[in-house]
Amino acid sequence: MRRRRRIFISRWQNWLGLALVLTFTIAALAAPQISPPNERTVGAFKKVGRSSDMTPHPPSEEAILGTLPGQTDVFHAIIWGARDAMIFGLSVAIGAFIFGSLFGAVSGYAGGAVNNLMMRIADAFLTFPALAGVVFLQQIVAVTIESMGGSYWFNPDTYGDMVYFPFTPPPFAVFLMKTNPVLISLILFSWMPIARIVNTQVITLKNTEFIQAGRALGAGPVWIIHRHLLPNAIGPAIVLAARDVGSSVILQATITFIGLGGASPWGALLSLGRNWVIGPGGNLLATWWIFLPPTLAILLFGVGWNLLGDGLAEALDPTASINQNPT
Amino acid sequence: MPPFIQFILRRLFTAFVSLIAITMLLYAGVMLTPPEARARLYLPQVNGEGQASQALVQSVIQKHHLDEPYLVQYSYWVRSLLTGSWGYSPTLREYVLPALLRRTPVTLELALYSLLLLIPLGLVSGFIAGWRPNQRFDGLFRSLAYFGTSTPPFIFSMVLLAVFYVQLGWFAPERMDVTTQLELMRSGFVNYTGALTLDSLLNRRFDVFLLALRHLAMPIMTLSIFYWATLGRVTRAAVFGQRNQEYIIAARARGIPERRLMWRHALRAILAPTLTTMAISASSIVTSSFVVEIIFVLPGVSQVIVKAMRGLPDAPASLGFAVYSVMMVISLMFILDVLQAILDPRVRDEVLKA
Repeated sequence: MRRRRRIFISRWQNWLGLALVLTFTIAALAAPQISPPNERTVGAFKKVGRSSDMTPHPPSEEAILGTLPGQTDVFHAIIWGARDAMIFGLSVAIGAFIFGSLFGAVSGYAGGAVNNLMMRIADAFLTFPALAGVVFLQQIVAVTIESMGGSYWFNPDTYGDMVYFPFTPPPFAVFLMKTNPVLISLILFSWMPIARIVNTQVITLKNTEFIQAGRALGAGPVWIIHRHLLPNAIGPAIVLAARDVGSSVILQATITFIGLGGASPWGALLSLGRNWVIGPGGNLLATWWIFLPPTLAILLFGVGWNLLGDGLAEALDPTASINQNPT
Repeated sequence: MPPFIQFILRRLFTAFVSLIAITMLLYAGVMLTPPEARARLYLPQVNGEGQASQALVQSVIQKHHLDEPYLVQYSYWVRSLLTGSWGYSPTLREYVLPALLRRTPVTLELALYSLLLLIPLGLVSGFIAGWRPNQRFDGLFRSLAYFGTSTPPFIFSMVLLAVFYVQLGWFAPERMDVTTQLELMRSGFVNYTGALTLDSLLNRRFDVFLLALRHLAMPIMTLSIFYWATLGRVTRAAVFGQRNQEYIIAARARGIPERRLMWRHALRAILAPTLTTMAISASSIVTSSFVVEIIFVLPGVSQVIVKAMRGLPDAPASLGFAVYSVMMVISLMFILDVLQAILDPRVRDEVLKA
């Protein structure tokens, strides 16, 4: 453990990654203290002036990072967007991690034809483009809600779906309205690498002596998976999951930006201010407070989690030495 | 039968199995909805607005066996896919399969040119960087590649638009401007393939060819830079491990020129891991090319979902799009695998053996 810690703290990149992730964590946890909402706040969007005023205003006392057209506070959306991003990213990563490692472990433990079949299924998921999955799931939800008697619109301007029921919606419909199709489809399309790594580890570990010994002592399969196989196979899977946090938030922002749902506040900031992102004469910095804050937030969030993943990969790799040549 | 054909056939078979598995999963998703909702997949073109009548829905359920067990329904659905009836999309106001096919050349143009640009560039730059690590080129490559992998394509596209479209005016979004479109319609421009770069050459209109490139430049740059960086980093890591292998040292000791050693011996050995990485990320390449199309308003395949997502639910369009894009990913994987088998001597020998 101490060796791992020493490897981790020996590189400045790991410190940077840790610092970035910590900053976003603090922003996410302390969002109500850093930027208190007012009475005209919906989600991450706080109005600070007349909504009919369609000119973005530069930073002022009231809005530290200026406003969007329609007087939405940029700073507020960045801070509360960090909370959304953290929740979203961690949910995807944890979901993919749990599902992937269970799938991989069970399949590897079963071995033989079952393993072959299960890994084929994992491969089939690899051929599915996430964007098609997002749209497909959204449509399934929409069609189901319509068949229950509700009305469903997808509204690109509010970055999400709108559901209307002429009567009290049945519980299943309420559940569907609360689920986020983008979240589910990102989990569905990011667990395969984790499953594969855990699977390979489990297959190699299965025939080692301490597992055989456990078998001989009468340990059941659940006990062996839980007690021996998962702890040994978990390191590389954690690394993949850490990188997933960043990449899934970036994909969510992308989907929101192109208007296919996802409800990422950071992506919505860029999309709401899209007429002002590029200022007169192609100057990206003329109204810099529209372009830079969300861009930097998305970029640094991704970079932070990636650096952290790289650092963990090195620290958890048993063959790594402290002063090895960085690749 | 020649071994290479055998390899192709076996690879085609795995692609087929993947396709079966993924369509079964897709249809399992469809099965979550009630039969009345599933009937929408088969509803014919309805004149005017308004819901289909209850009787019509019931007859569709009867005709397409929508209240029978999963496997029966699945086989009927596959049969209808194979016969080309992918359903009628109310938001597109046309049948799904022709709508997808008509838009395919644009997507293919974008993806093909990007891959042709980024695979050689990624391999060569990653190779040079990894062969002499920690030198000046390596430092430059690593910072550029890091920038490339961590900048989301949609942010990069905004920077490109600001610089090359608004400031310099070199490139433009969309497929072509309205005046050109009208001029082409009037002058009897023939659409042979649907891909503008090819059509313009076939029509001997070099001005239109340049124009097509002008409109394709930014999407290609956006798509290429990200995967160039990914491929380059993988290549660099592979070369880094390969550089001091015994066969390289032995070859060097026998006096084989460094250049020949690099490009003939080592490059071949690292093709397998790098192209495999590309094949694994094939689905992400397809997703990114859809995203790039949407941002730069190219009328490619992704236009189908953009239109279908505006407003009412459109099940046939989204299901058709899902199946179609899976087919695109599988063919891309197939192409990359075959490419790897042709180029890498070890894979080729393994093919011969098996």
